Amino acid sequence: MARKIKADENESRLNHLLGALPDEDFVRIKSQLEYIKLPLGKVLYESGDKMSHIYFPTTAIISLLYIMENGGTAEIGIAGNNGLIGMALYMGGETTSSRAIVQSGGDAVRMKAADLRAEFARGGLFQDLLLRYTQSLMTQISQTAVCNRLHTIQQQLCRWLLINHDQLPADKLVMTHDLIANMLGVRREGVSTAAGKLQELGVIKYSRGTIYIVDRKGIERVACECYQVVSTEYDRLLGEYMRKNLPAPIAHISASVRQRTVKEKAFT
Amino acid sequence: MPFDARSDLLANKILTALPAADLARIKPKLERFEMTFGAILNTPNQIAEHIYFPDSGIISLLGTLGEGSNLEISIVSSEGAIPLCPFLGTPSSPVRALVQGDGIAHRIKTEDFLDECRDSPELTRMLLHFTRSLMLQISQCAVCFRFHRIEERLARWLLMSADRMESNEFLMTQKTLSHMLGVRREGVTKAASHLQKLGIIKYSRGNIHILDRPQLEGAACACYAILSAGTQ
Repeated sequence: MARKIKADENESRLNHLLGALPDEDFVRIKSQLEYIKLPLGKVLYESGDKMSHIYFPTTAIISLLYIMENGGTAEIGIAGNNGLIGMALYMGGETTSSRAIVQSGGDAVRMKAADLRAEFARGGLFQDLLLRYTQSLMTQISQTAVCNRLHTIQQQLCRWLLINHDQLPADKLVMTHDLIANMLGVRREGVSTAAGKLQELGVIKYSRGTIYIVDRKGIERVACECYQVVSTEYDRLLGEYMRKNLPAPIAHISASVRQRTVKEKAFT
Repeated sequence: MPFDARSDLLANKILTALPAADLARIKPKLERFEMTFGAILNTPNQIAEHIYFPDSGIISLLGTLGEGSNLEISIVSSEGAIPLCPFLGTPSSPVRALVQGDGIAHRIKTEDFLDECRDSPELTRMLLHFTRSLMLQISQCAVCFRFHRIEERLARWLLMSADRMESNEFLMTQKTLSHMLGVRREGVTKAASHLQKLGIIKYSRGNIHILDRPQLEGAACACYAILSAGTQ
């Protein structure tokens, strides 16, 4: 096994959740963070696996795939630098029920299960961030369900491109139609037709396994409302943190797992 | 009406699993609430004033906003509590919670609820666990919407409802069914008539009667078995 590389502080904080932590909280956990490179296609967890770490992507994007009883897969959520992988570790239960696979290669930092649990049990802002993120992922999964039921493959492809684009440093995405078809749980021909249409509209350009985002506004116009619903909800839940406008101080009570007061202001 | 230990039977699985001391502390803050079909227990983006712990009946959680706002993405009954947003850190959420099957719940003021979460690690642990199982249910629903036929989904929905209502007979209009399943009414009618023709259900004037449960299980998608195992 490769030697552990201590994570660089500034790079760790490229992850928005870690970046939003106040310095005094970040100082406590930074020595527990380990840098890890995540190549395209790497499986972080299989459904049913015991989880050893929680991952905070900094430049990588991870897809959460639900595994069907017949082995088929469908993406239920995406976590890039705005999220984390491994919430089962703090929600209870050690095994995961979905497959986490790297869909855009890059970097992440990770933290051992025991360290994460200890930090979560302290309460305070770290715990609050993780629970808010849980809520935002619940919305993302719900919206995926709604989108699967109501929207065309082209609209779904647009939603998917926008979510990914938000988390990428550049306007290009390395991705084959086969992979997209697996993610969306549709046939490859369906993806090719939808991508071809978007290319005709001039909003993307597709060449040899790379998708270029040419006209983001144009993609937003074609997409269903689902993208907007998910990103608005993320902002409602976590935007205040990201803008360093932290909620009222939260008491640390180690005996309990949840220490929130109700005196929080409603987000708008 | 305040909770009265003598007349109100507490059957919610989270509350009844609490350590005796925790339950004794929370009991005086509980209020019995009759859930009647169609009542809305959580309105999108409005501050949640109460947390409901159902003892019986069914609550549907509907898709977030816009077009999805009538689509059922999960159901909660005596194994859970809603809404979860205060527990997860915010006073409101975009979820609509609608009573789908009559029943009884015990509700608690959000402020009191958060005090109890602070004082009871066991309550917190169970709520985290329930949150996770709800997310699994929603994930399963996403997959089900993607891959399964209307008839399979209708069969699953009928089974899940019957389990929670503890009855093989219940009321349900086609309009509601079409919302729940996210399909047009004609689609529901067609699927329901087919199940009726096979002698599995009887459906008339909004009354659904399950005649042959094993066959209905055979007609449902695998999601039923997976979700039933998950809520044990």
